[in-house]
Amino acid sequence: MDDVNTVTTDGAAKTEELKKCPIDFERHGPGFREGFVDQTHELHAKCPIAWTGSYEDHWVVSGMDQVFAVARRPEVTNFRDADGSVNGYKGISIPAYDYGPYDTPSFLELDPPEQTDFRKVLNPYMSPAAVARWVPIIDELVNACLDDHIESGSIDFIDDLATVVPAITTMGMLGLPLADWDVHSEAQHALMYTPPGSPDHERVMKIVMASRAALTDAVPEVRANPRPGFVDALLNATIAGRELTDQEITGTLMLLVGGGFDTTTALTGQSLLWLSQHPDERARLAEEIDTLLDPATEEFLRYFTPAVGDARTFSDNVEIDGVEFKEGERVWVSWAMANRSPDVFENPDEVDFDRTGNRHAAFGLGIHRCIGSNVARVVFKRMITAVLDRMPDFVIDPNAVVHYESVGQINGLVNLPATFTAGERRGPGLTTTIERAQKIVVDEQLADRVTARRGR
Amino acid sequence: MKVEVDEHACQGHTLCAMVAPDLFTLRDEDGHSEANNGGEVPRGLEQAANSAISSCPERAIRMIED
Repeated sequence: MDDVNTVTTDGAAKTEELKKCPIDFERHGPGFREGFVDQTHELHAKCPIAWTGSYEDHWVVSGMDQVFAVARRPEVTNFRDADGSVNGYKGISIPAYDYGPYDTPSFLELDPPEQTDFRKVLNPYMSPAAVARWVPIIDELVNACLDDHIESGSIDFIDDLATVVPAITTMGMLGLPLADWDVHSEAQHALMYTPPGSPDHERVMKIVMASRAALTDAVPEVRANPRPGFVDALLNATIAGRELTDQEITGTLMLLVGGGFDTTTALTGQSLLWLSQHPDERARLAEEIDTLLDPATEEFLRYFTPAVGDARTFSDNVEIDGVEFKEGERVWVSWAMANRSPDVFENPDEVDFDRTGNRHAAFGLGIHRCIGSNVARVVFKRMITAVLDRMPDFVIDPNAVVHYESVGQINGLVNLPATFTAGERRGPGLTTTIERAQKIVVDEQLADRVTARRGR
Repeated sequence: MKVEVDEHACQGHTLCAMVAPDLFTLRDEDGHSEANNGGEVPRGLEQAANSAISSCPERAIRMIED
């Protein structure tokens, strides 16, 4: 593909033409979810790079090759200039969030070298080797969630399982009390499903503030009582040659809670809903889970793409795929649409457990690859495995499913009530299990970083 | 057949080790990939190597001619 920095007259004409025909891209609007597949087809066929005036003037990149080219360019930045002292760039959200007093950018909205330093500090807590240590605890929590409902024959997979386990696991990795998961839970979900300008905004901001306040208080608390986890890692971090301020640490914790809570919930809910609608594939996955769980997980990630996209800003004039981008222009990179690209994925609108070469972009591309991707995969896999094992005949009433009002940020579900043949408890319920798990986390120092094994 | 992971392009998506666990090892500290045995692909694992190449979201793995 054409991917050069030289400006061509053809490029100028093409760029002008695109800007003259802006597309409708109201991601938070009521029709976006229903129209997603049609619009994806249309954009892929006509303009994998498009221009829109929705929310603010910006580019929309939807084809995998174009997304790949844009997301990995050094002239494309996530940077958010919080106090306006550098370049006015607006970070990864369109429309911009109102951060209020918490507007310190996290490392997702910083460039290298600061971003690189943050990743070096936090990666050893979330690498595959680090996450593997958590599996026994995750299994206990999953089974406790199921135990609390298995005798009744009914469960809401969102409220009673998919919201709970990712949240508690994240709390554990932070080094904060597991039992406090619900201080943040509803805030994180509501923040994602509430469209901009919703009448519900005030209620949501109130609970979000409570969540932020708790993460603010956590910083001095862990400083006074050191224990392993993300908070401790950030307290002891040297980023670009200096220590972090408490506010910077809080901002980072908010990113980690935001990333850790709602995304895996969305993936799990959507996948369970799909499995209930496809009984043959469900039976096959249960039967061949040892070999199919990995490819099925990647396929669900591709197909549902929980975090649908992110904004970026061009930090220089650049030509990509025959389109001229100007310094300062904004772009929305649609991971979800890229994951349906017909030139990369055969039958892109089908879930296919046998798909090979599944190079999906559900965790983003480039240096900002979701830092929690390994956590997400493991937590998701343990939940799916347990449900298929213990509630194999679950039925979901499609009329009782509640989708997020807005899927402009996270492609999630509010409710997913299911019924199944009642079974037997295997252990104590969630409250007791959280207490037990907390003791194991502390005794085994689970939230500590992995240290590289030598001589491999 | 030999494969090579571009360490600057690899972002630790882990898909190569998922589809070809015999050919790639993920670093403990960040999950970034390294090809085993200097990238030498044992006979019979060529298909796994090609799967890994086509599974990498960052397109960071390439075949190098012996």
